[in-house]
Amino acid sequence: MSTVEFANGGERTPLSPIKLRKAWLGIDQNDRAIEFASSQMGAFAVCLAVIAALGLSFQLSFSALGLVSVSLLAMVALPSHRLLILSGASLFYFALRPFRIDGWSQLLRAQAEAISFLPHPLVLQFGAVGIVLALSLLFLLWQKKYSHATAAKRPVLTLCLLWGAMLLAALLTTTGSLMNSIMWSVVGVSISSLWILAYSAVDAKGKDQTSSVSRAVFLRPFWGGSAAPIGKSYGYLNRFAAKTDDELAVTRLKALKLAVWALLLTAVLKIVTYVAYDVIGLTELQTAILAHANGSALPSSVNWGSLIANYLIDLLIISVWGHFIVSIVRMCGYRIPRNTVNPLASRTLAEFWNRYFFYFKELLVDFFFYPAFTKFFKKNLKLRIAFATLCAAGLGNFMYHFMRETYVFAEGDLLEKFTIFQSAAFYSLALAAGLIVSQWRGKKVAPEDGFFNYHVWPRVNVIAFFCFLKIFDDISGQGSLSERASFAVSLFGV
Amino acid sequence: MTQPIRDFVSNLLTERGKPAEFSDSDALFTSGLLDSLAATELMLHLESDHGVDLADADFDISMLDTINDLSGLVSQPA
Repeated sequence: MSTVEFANGGERTPLSPIKLRKAWLGIDQNDRAIEFASSQMGAFAVCLAVIAALGLSFQLSFSALGLVSVSLLAMVALPSHRLLILSGASLFYFALRPFRIDGWSQLLRAQAEAISFLPHPLVLQFGAVGIVLALSLLFLLWQKKYSHATAAKRPVLTLCLLWGAMLLAALLTTTGSLMNSIMWSVVGVSISSLWILAYSAVDAKGKDQTSSVSRAVFLRPFWGGSAAPIGKSYGYLNRFAAKTDDELAVTRLKALKLAVWALLLTAVLKIVTYVAYDVIGLTELQTAILAHANGSALPSSVNWGSLIANYLIDLLIISVWGHFIVSIVRMCGYRIPRNTVNPLASRTLAEFWNRYFFYFKELLVDFFFYPAFTKFFKKNLKLRIAFATLCAAGLGNFMYHFMRETYVFAEGDLLEKFTIFQSAAFYSLALAAGLIVSQWRGKKVAPEDGFFNYHVWPRVNVIAFFCFLKIFDDISGQGSLSERASFAVSLFGV
Repeated sequence: MTQPIRDFVSNLLTERGKPAEFSDSDALFTSGLLDSLAATELMLHLESDHGVDLADADFDISMLDTINDLSGLVSQPA
């Protein structure tokens, strides 16, 4: 049997999986591991191990993995140039992959084809990126110069209004014209980076000393992610920056732990997906809903199974995705909180939101909840909480998804396109209603309430709520709101 | 002025199963130590017990992030 040597007097103890797990989980508190990770060779070893975990997961494209690898290795080799490397890599990534979702990329390609003299679609893309960078810099400089203006004090609202004006201008241009192509490309690039710019603008009001130019080029961090930025902004990252060699080593070891955990979860995801779809014969939830809508409903057992499997698979996907991104951020030396932290442990709907997609929840809370909570219905606590929650989980949530998907308005009938968002609107309202009731109830269960009441029942409620809410979590326009509602009630034989 | 706020924050941390030991410069919200629900409780406390009005266009959560920030906030003239 293999043995492992421990620090307690050099005694050789038989190696067991439990001890190995304990040693692994405590690696970021182990003095020898920290010392090793502090050395140049150790830092490279940790970095390469994180890159290996990313690569083995096959979650990143080859080009994205290449950019991440080069950037992380450069930061290890030149730690004093971390900010420069981060800015450069992010600018490079922004220029090449400015869109968060394929809808905008496809629209840009279609728009580029409409311009006869354009040698390559990339010219339009680079042009749009250049315009958005310039506009972002101008906005930040204007905000700095006129910091006492109301619009500068409320940068999120100002940015949303400016973006809305750009969208309106794009809608008013003639389809097929050069101006139409440019405007839609700029609208697409800017919505992909709007929220991170908003964070930068909020930072600029505070103590963060990052220059306007650095903020303006940090519109798409090279670690990728959705339009809800993981790591928020330079100001947020700076609060978590490792300040000593030991802190940096600990942060990188935490990155490695998270990357390995994400790799293990990737394997679990593959197995769960294989068992659910290929062994048991379940389908994706969307397929089950559309089959029901088309009059060829699947058996009730398959629909129930698909609903539950979809929920679990969704949790695994977001965990893997978020863990890998956070591990890259931590490898850069920023010990930011995780995006997903054991969501199944949630006992309240509000807690689930905190644990499920932390940075999206933060965006909604920072930009919608707090502004509403501090200003409206201050004399009535229940109304105050309800309104602020409605602003965040209802309005903010819907606005985020609506604005992200506005490429659909580039062609076709405007009013008809609005129907695409009916499920998303219902989803946002139902989520807000659930969160409001959850906060109003206020009663916190305690261990003294018994095992079932403390550990089981609250969690079952939370899981059931979000499981059913997933039926309406759609922005594709396939399957109307009534068809989804019909599917939901059909699960109970109605 | 600082101690009642510190006690309130300690209580928030304890309720959430977090260690109640922290320094005056430790980030409470931006670090993820306390969540947005805790922030609303703290805001209510600041309004009711310290007369702080947070309905300012400049407000963001980083203004409440540390005990030092909170002390500065409550010591400002209304």
